[in-house]
Amino acid sequence: MTLDNGALSEKLELRATGLRKSFGGVEVLHGVDITVKGGEVLALLGENGAGKSTAIKILAGDYKRDAGVIVIDGEEADIRNPRDAGAYGLRVIYQEFSDAPDLSVAENLSLGRLPRNRFGLVDWSQVRRNARDILEKLGIELPLRALVGTLGVAERQVLEIARALAGSARLLILDEPTSALTLEETDALFAFIERLKAQGVAIIYITHRLDEVERIADNVLVFRDGDAVAEGPVTEFGRKEMVEAMVGHELVEEVASLRGEGHEIGEPVLAIEGATSDGVFRDVDLEVREGEILSLFGRIGCGALELAEAVFGLREMTRGSIRVGEESGQPNSPKDAIARFGIGFVPIDRKTDGLLTVLNVAENLSVASWPWMTKGGLLPPRATAKVFDRWYDTLDIRGKGGATQIVDTLSGGNQQKVVLGRWLERESRLLVLAEPTRGVDVGARAQIYHVLRRFADEGIAVLIVTSDIEEVVRISDTVVVMSRGRVVARHRAGEVDRAQLIRQAAEDTSAEAAVV
Amino acid sequence: MDDTSVAEGGEGSPDATSSVGISTRARIARVFVAMPPEVVLIVVLVALGLIFAQGSEFFLTTRNMRNVLLSVSVLGILAAPGTLLLISGNFDLSVASAAALCGCIAGVVAEENSAAAAILAAIGVGLLAGIFNGILSAYAGIASIVVTLGTWLGYRGLARLFSNGQTIRMNGKVEFITNDILGVPAQIVIFVLITVLAWFVVRYTRFGRSVYAIGSNPTAARLSGIRQKPTIFVMFIVSGLLAGLAGLILASQLDAASGNAATGVELEVVAAIILGGASLSGGRGTIPGTVLGVFILGIMQNGLTLLSISSFWQDVATGVVLVAAVGLDQVRLRLSGS
Repeated sequence: MTLDNGALSEKLELRATGLRKSFGGVEVLHGVDITVKGGEVLALLGENGAGKSTAIKILAGDYKRDAGVIVIDGEEADIRNPRDAGAYGLRVIYQEFSDAPDLSVAENLSLGRLPRNRFGLVDWSQVRRNARDILEKLGIELPLRALVGTLGVAERQVLEIARALAGSARLLILDEPTSALTLEETDALFAFIERLKAQGVAIIYITHRLDEVERIADNVLVFRDGDAVAEGPVTEFGRKEMVEAMVGHELVEEVASLRGEGHEIGEPVLAIEGATSDGVFRDVDLEVREGEILSLFGRIGCGALELAEAVFGLREMTRGSIRVGEESGQPNSPKDAIARFGIGFVPIDRKTDGLLTVLNVAENLSVASWPWMTKGGLLPPRATAKVFDRWYDTLDIRGKGGATQIVDTLSGGNQQKVVLGRWLERESRLLVLAEPTRGVDVGARAQIYHVLRRFADEGIAVLIVTSDIEEVVRISDTVVVMSRGRVVARHRAGEVDRAQLIRQAAEDTSAEAAVV
Repeated sequence: MDDTSVAEGGEGSPDATSSVGISTRARIARVFVAMPPEVVLIVVLVALGLIFAQGSEFFLTTRNMRNVLLSVSVLGILAAPGTLLLISGNFDLSVASAAALCGCIAGVVAEENSAAAAILAAIGVGLLAGIFNGILSAYAGIASIVVTLGTWLGYRGLARLFSNGQTIRMNGKVEFITNDILGVPAQIVIFVLITVLAWFVVRYTRFGRSVYAIGSNPTAARLSGIRQKPTIFVMFIVSGLLAGLAGLILASQLDAASGNAATGVELEVVAAIILGGASLSGGRGTIPGTVLGVFILGIMQNGLTLLSISSFWQDVATGVVLVAAVGLDQVRLRLSGS
């Protein structure tokens, strides 16, 4: 590693111009430029599907660009694979950890290049010395002998960065690094990033969170639909400008039409009273009515997700009651929640919890309704195909294989529509959705909102757990803000103010000043 | 998490820069990918048949085909529930041991009692063996491969205990089990019936589709209201019952029961199912595929014996076919994954 008195001896300067990329004949990146220098943080903003991931995957050598030039330190860089990118000092830190959880911190810092002694055996004292040196230079304290799997998320994130730097990285690309962090952990990470900046490391920071951009970035680059639509020093951007650049004007205008202002809100479908699960959420009262879309807004770890799990019978409560329609008492299992209470649940992680990945679209759409559809235990393929026909148009499921396409091969947005459709087919009267548009592109996101609004208008109650402020503003009739396991505020649709919401969710009055 | 739609569309998409000669190759690849997996197996089966028919005049005779069917019927009966279990992501490695145990129980009971009592005892012990596997795998939360590795050893040990390490002569008492039904040996009829039934259950019943759902993604299945534990439990019970039946068939065929009966058959069962296109990680597999897998193994054994090839080389050849067929299927899957 090239740390010299705590500073990089060579700062990197990267200039990528005219990057283009197509997938299956559709161009998703239309010639974008990215410039970043050592000691600088570039915030890369954009909605899902804007092309951010494609661009960084090109820089990281994961994708081959169709056109464009990457110049590093004045010379054209020939990046064909991740190994090449590593040789130029480029490293991406993804949300998924690439460490070895069953090995120690020290060994992880030498992974792939374990020092050996003269007998050809691993030189463990050298391993620990190296690890101590790296951590000391970066100003991090981590227990060297601890297994990485026992560390907290934030510590692992920091370790991940330390590993990259130990491998002589000079440009770090951080992909939404705070999405799983608490506020305190985020502060610690930001302090660490500031230190790296001072040492001359170049950083590209990908995020959806505008408050973070204002705190950490020097420059801003905004992507929309595969184009770079705005860039410049962060001081020249207000929050409004950033959002407008990300979303585009037409979508901002669409927001009003999606809100259920003026339409009928009926009888309560879900009534939660005094719900408490020790250490997770406390004394939550909540009511969701027919035709109402209620957003439960808060940061990761605020307890909203866990409350949603309790509603669906996935988590036991210590006290409090949940009532759905006439049924009272808490569901004791997902099956109970579905069959007795008529609740549908769209989990936060589509791939691991939502989709029957190797089964087809029709089966994924119908699975929750199988008990209904079967007569004498029989469930012929014809029956599930019919379900597909029913939802194909309404949900606009775009896949080339129709009913029998394996769901894993659909795009993220279409997969999410399938999971949503599963509960519409089941005629759920309460839909609980956790981060329903995470990893979903702009178009599919709008479609999902329209479908939710349409079914709400037909009388379904919708409870959305989200940490995405745009989602709250675009879709909700009612917003309930949670922080540290408690409800801290309630708003009606008209009176929602982004700044207020973010402040309430953070329970952090100092944030007010930073907010437009 | 971000931009997944783009990323998924992109992986494995054709390389834009190389265009020469790709059209023919792409077309062949597309045909290869579009074929149902069973087609590959049928091609393998026909190819083997042609080779053996070339090498031995006796191979294609009705008599020999009947021999093949007789020799694979026990394997096929055990492979049917095995396929469902593997689709759900579970294993039953104890089936052959359980079959031996049931055979020995039948033998011991038949010494002093009627044939009916022997049959009941064998089936009953099979049921118990399945219940034991099922409780531990479905309800106690122990991985089924571990549970049935334990009972694979345990049931075999019990079988040898009951038979006292000796072969138990049945003196024709249960021979009628494998008598001909309308000119067809009973075990073949049972094999066909069970296969058809399994195929129907897998394809046309909620139970069958739930098995796929559980194997595809257990969490997602649970969150969709599918009851996992009873489903898995039932499969182990069926597997145990059919092991009992298999034990009776073996005892009837040989007119004797032995603690060493059906040694190694559990792995042949797994081999046939994997050969048939099932995935070890669950969610994939079909009954027709398994049947083809069973026949490929049976034909290999039969044909190579007719060609007077040593049984050691037979094992080597079977191993090669197994790895090659599964490897080919993996290539197909990877191409279709794009």
